[in-house]
Amino acid sequence: MKGEKTAVLLFREDPKEEPHPEKMEELRGLAEAAGYRVLAEIVQRRGRDRRFQLGRGKIVEAASLLPEKLIFNEPLSPGQIFNIGKEFEVVAMDRFNLILEIFASRASTREAKLQVELARLSYDLPFVRTIESLNKLSERPGYRGSGSYDVSMYRDIKGRMAKIRAELKAVEETGERRRERRRELGFDLVALAGYTNAGKSTLFNRLAEETVAAKDQPFTTLSPTTRAVAAGDRRFLLTDTVGFIDDLPLFLIKAFRSTLAEIVEADLVLLVVDLSDPPELLRERVASCHEALWDCGCYAPIVSVLNKVDRIGPEAAKERCELLKDLAPSPVFISAGEGMGLDQLVDAILEKLPPLEEFLVRLPSSEAGMAQLSRLYDVAEPVEVKYGEEIEVLLRGRREIVARALKGAERARPQPEPGPETEPEPKPEPEPVPESEPEPEPETEPEPDPGPEPSPLAEG
Amino acid sequence: MDVVAVDISGRHAVGGRYIMVSASVAARITPEGIEKTRRMRLVPLVAESVDMEVVIGLIEESVRGLSGVVLAEKGDLYNLERWRVESILGREFKYPESRGERRAMELAHHASFAGRRLFLRLLEEGLGEEAEKSEEAGKMTAGGG
Repeated sequence: MKGEKTAVLLFREDPKEEPHPEKMEELRGLAEAAGYRVLAEIVQRRGRDRRFQLGRGKIVEAASLLPEKLIFNEPLSPGQIFNIGKEFEVVAMDRFNLILEIFASRASTREAKLQVELARLSYDLPFVRTIESLNKLSERPGYRGSGSYDVSMYRDIKGRMAKIRAELKAVEETGERRRERRRELGFDLVALAGYTNAGKSTLFNRLAEETVAAKDQPFTTLSPTTRAVAAGDRRFLLTDTVGFIDDLPLFLIKAFRSTLAEIVEADLVLLVVDLSDPPELLRERVASCHEALWDCGCYAPIVSVLNKVDRIGPEAAKERCELLKDLAPSPVFISAGEGMGLDQLVDAILEKLPPLEEFLVRLPSSEAGMAQLSRLYDVAEPVEVKYGEEIEVLLRGRREIVARALKGAERARPQPEPGPETEPEPKPEPEPVPESEPEPEPETEPEPDPGPEPSPLAEG
Repeated sequence: MDVVAVDISGRHAVGGRYIMVSASVAARITPEGIEKTRRMRLVPLVAESVDMEVVIGLIEESVRGLSGVVLAEKGDLYNLERWRVESILGREFKYPESRGERRAMELAHHASFAGRRLFLRLLEEGLGEEAEKSEEAGKMTAGGG
């Protein structure tokens, strides 16, 4: 077919290890997601070949099918790519490169495009260096003749990477400010994380009643999407993020730092697990997710969402849950596709979110007091308000957010200009007074100098 | 889950010898983090090589008396398969997978690193000679909070 991309998949099995047919399946899924028609799958059980990764015979066999590309599951060194291209006149790529190709084809936002470009350049950098040095092996014309030319591409890449990093830092800072603002508005942040094609976007659509693209293919989602979800008396912001994959190289994680920041900064992570995966693969994939969460520095509490439970029986689901007992905290069985178990999931989310506390705040019955009250209404849930000589408001919210709102109001209040003849009047301080004896401090550290401190009455 | 995270610091030659300290952290963990640290044990060792026998011997000594699944980094055990390490150690063993297990390993790493610095200082001051000669005298044990 004209214009169709074709590929042969090559997989090397380590003779010391058990065969992993599911890894070949994953590679095929990735190749198809990148738009390749797979002509053949070639597996060889042997040690690593220094020149071609696999044996020469297998490469000849693959190249005889005249594919556009040879896709290797194992990472290829710059030298191996060079050797295969030179000797068999076919383009070779490895799994990481394939993932980058998928990312490049799906990136729609400016942020995603920059992230993909940074990842691509990080990947290409050592290759460029090696290929430049390999090309120079035969001769170097002229004394210092081509020196400046040879290193210029390497330098260009380094320069471009620095530029992208600076742009991404600005994006990251914007994201940070956005999340801060959302927290100030009283929202809890919940992020969806999990292996690619685990059903994160389907679950997102169910919980947020949205219609983001959710397909049965890896890496459908690249850029984060955030929507508000109201559950019980809480409201939280749910973010759909990019999926993880086994053996994800660190440079890829670093390139996608601004996207992964949504997970790192979340108050709660929903770790979505495809329970229909074969048991031996299931554990490996959940462990990969833990590794990725660890690598990106996420320490938020986790709710394990065991998805696609409709595809296996309840007995098998329990067995697999038992298999994951040391990897999957607070497990909840759901089927995002069928809409099963969502209520239990919402209950688990509410249970794990940082608790709400009740505060009694007394404000002066003045314009400034009313302004503060209005600000408090934005960030916490008012339970009772009494207007008298003072405004007494009982509200439920998160300690640090209520404290910050009061502090913010303090800062926002205009300072009276002392006139030459009049003494400056003392500023009325909104002193929140505890209704009862103050309880011992909660476990969380209070913020330094939080301004007028609200008094906790009881935990919500 | 009860685990004993082990980390060995000093697996590089210094003047032809390997001045190592193995730290074991016995902790109760959840998949998300550490619930409680029970005990911590440091075992110093000066050896001529870091072959498998030496490493396993040091780990065995380090985890003695501490209950739980032994955790260690793959590199510390030359990327041996889990079943192989289990059969050599004769104890339940695994490589860290969950965030809690990684956190316990991180703790053991900090402890072994600090322990080695202390051991080097003791050696410099001539106080570690006894520890170097006698294995028993060199052990340092601390109860967890």
